[in-house]
Amino acid sequence: MRLLTIATSLAALIAASPLAAQTLNVASAGDQNMVDYVKDYLGPMFEKAHPGVKVVAVGTGPGDSGSQKIYEKLDAQKGSATTDFDVVVIHQKAAGQMVKEGLLDKYTANVDTSKLATGDAAKNALGTDVSGYVIPMFQSQTALAYNADMVKTPPATFAELADWAKKNPKQFGYNGIKGGMSGVAFVAGWVYAFGGDADKLMKGPYDAATKANWDKAFADLKAFNANATITPGNAGTLDMLNRGEIAIGPVWVDMFYSWQADGKLPPNMKLKLISPGMPGQPMYYSIPEKSAQKKLAEAFIALATSPQVQADGIVKKFNWYPGIDAKNLEGKLDKAAWDKLFTDVTPAELANNGKPFPIAPYFNDILEGYEKKVAN
Amino acid sequence: MSISQRQLALLLVAPGLALVAALFLYPLSFSLISAFTGPQGGVSLDAFRKAWEFYSGDVLFTVVIVLASCLFTGLAAIIIAGTLTLGENRWIVGTLKALYRWPLFIPFIVAAQCMRTFLAKNGLMNNSFVALGLMEPLQTVSFLDWRGIIATFVWKQTPFVALLLAGALAAIDRAMLEAGRNLGASRLRVLVELALPQVMPQLLVALVLSFVTMLSVLSVPMMVAGSQPTMLTVDMAFRINSYGDYATANALGVITYLLSAGAAIIYLKRGMAAKEGAP
Repeated sequence: MRLLTIATSLAALIAASPLAAQTLNVASAGDQNMVDYVKDYLGPMFEKAHPGVKVVAVGTGPGDSGSQKIYEKLDAQKGSATTDFDVVVIHQKAAGQMVKEGLLDKYTANVDTSKLATGDAAKNALGTDVSGYVIPMFQSQTALAYNADMVKTPPATFAELADWAKKNPKQFGYNGIKGGMSGVAFVAGWVYAFGGDADKLMKGPYDAATKANWDKAFADLKAFNANATITPGNAGTLDMLNRGEIAIGPVWVDMFYSWQADGKLPPNMKLKLISPGMPGQPMYYSIPEKSAQKKLAEAFIALATSPQVQADGIVKKFNWYPGIDAKNLEGKLDKAAWDKLFTDVTPAELANNGKPFPIAPYFNDILEGYEKKVAN
Repeated sequence: MSISQRQLALLLVAPGLALVAALFLYPLSFSLISAFTGPQGGVSLDAFRKAWEFYSGDVLFTVVIVLASCLFTGLAAIIIAGTLTLGENRWIVGTLKALYRWPLFIPFIVAAQCMRTFLAKNGLMNNSFVALGLMEPLQTVSFLDWRGIIATFVWKQTPFVALLLAGALAAIDRAMLEAGRNLGASRLRVLVELALPQVMPQLLVALVLSFVTMLSVLSVPMMVAGSQPTMLTVDMAFRINSYGDYATANALGVITYLLSAGAAIIYLKRGMAAKEGAP
């Protein structure tokens, strides 16, 4: 009898323990603020709603390299029964590749909030059809930040910027292409402006001969660089703007607002989204094909893409543009918070000049062209 | 069954050997194979062609930066070690002794982060000069480029070289140095003509080790300087992170091996010479 009691209680313990210690591993590419978002904001909220679940946030590093690390992990665990990650937050370039290689789960039909994200970004990641596999976490945008005391009338186009930089040597600064995505975005914007047919670069189809048309754009960029300051990284550009060492530089809009809110940038800094446009990109929520806890992961993403969380967390707390369609946030957000997001860059400017990055093969061509013809 | 002396010796080195094989030789051969494999498989030099076409400037930049850093590190270490050995002002020697090792305990990435704000145009260094009235604000320049990398490397590696050098200098026969002093040679002359020639092997070894260390640092060029031109470590990281292109990254790795192999040859030759010279 006693033996039976012990046996049953032991069995009950074994049956109960996975429930009691359920862990949801969320791997996030991107800067530290992305990890903080899950660790400090979203994770605790989800744990409250699902007692017994523990959310573990892992950061894999900024930029495409962070997503590359997630890709390598999933790729390496392709043969095993389950992966270590249950939810991944990834960039567009990696999302396309992972979908193509079957590393992601087609989950969005099981998550109601996926109907709230109908923009192009939810379906198309740099030329790859990703519908069903991703829901945008947020949209981010690059723009030029400038010191309004030093620059009274900021340039409005890339051509004006080139003139301005010639007249004000070393006052424009960006981080090249190896120090973070704000510099990459600037270079992509430059090719959109001077390389001809920008639409084709964003929508395809890919034609390997196109890159031959960019020679002049790259030669001009090389001349432009002679008058520019090359900064160390995304944060390096903001640092130099803050210290008054440069007057204009490309930055991520969300980083800009966050730094300004923290007092790390003077209040006289403003943003300008110049034409014909600069790229922005979403981050995606996805579930690995081999995740052991798909149901829980879906519940997590449903919470993360609900209008209230998008309003409070994404827009108000972290200054990103919402991942789901903006109209779903109506009534969830006070006007002041909404207006703050559009202080310098108006919704109309964002619609006209906020571009996607080029499709993946053109993207690589631009980076390699820059390395070969501008940097070396 | 008893094991012979020889078998025992083999058994003892086995764990170490296995570690070297698993953690160094195995990945090394992987990267070598990848560097010499073409996009369609088969042996090919494509990756090297690409590496050279894209990064020839950076190869040169890396070599110049590391050599210049070695040179300045050597000079600074000689000054510090020389002062420690031949200095007569007890206060200066004591302070220097207490301070010079500190950078040894600071990781490269932390040093790079400090230099980022220290060497900037309106950074701590220039602002101090301006506040002292030595400079006008408009005269300040940013050192966040190749000069910043060299400054960080020299700052970080000098204590290591100085430590080895000071040890070697302390071990040489004081009588000869004192004889030189008695015959009227200045301290500088004693250092350069009497002391240094005797510790050249140690200095060279320390510099070779520094050379290889600096060649492998990613954080400093990444954080201190802009990316064009930049060092090979940054290019390797970029090749992998942006294109998933391991072949070219490994080709750059092989180029780095060759550079450090040059240094290793000097190191080994020194070792051999020392052995042959020993009684």
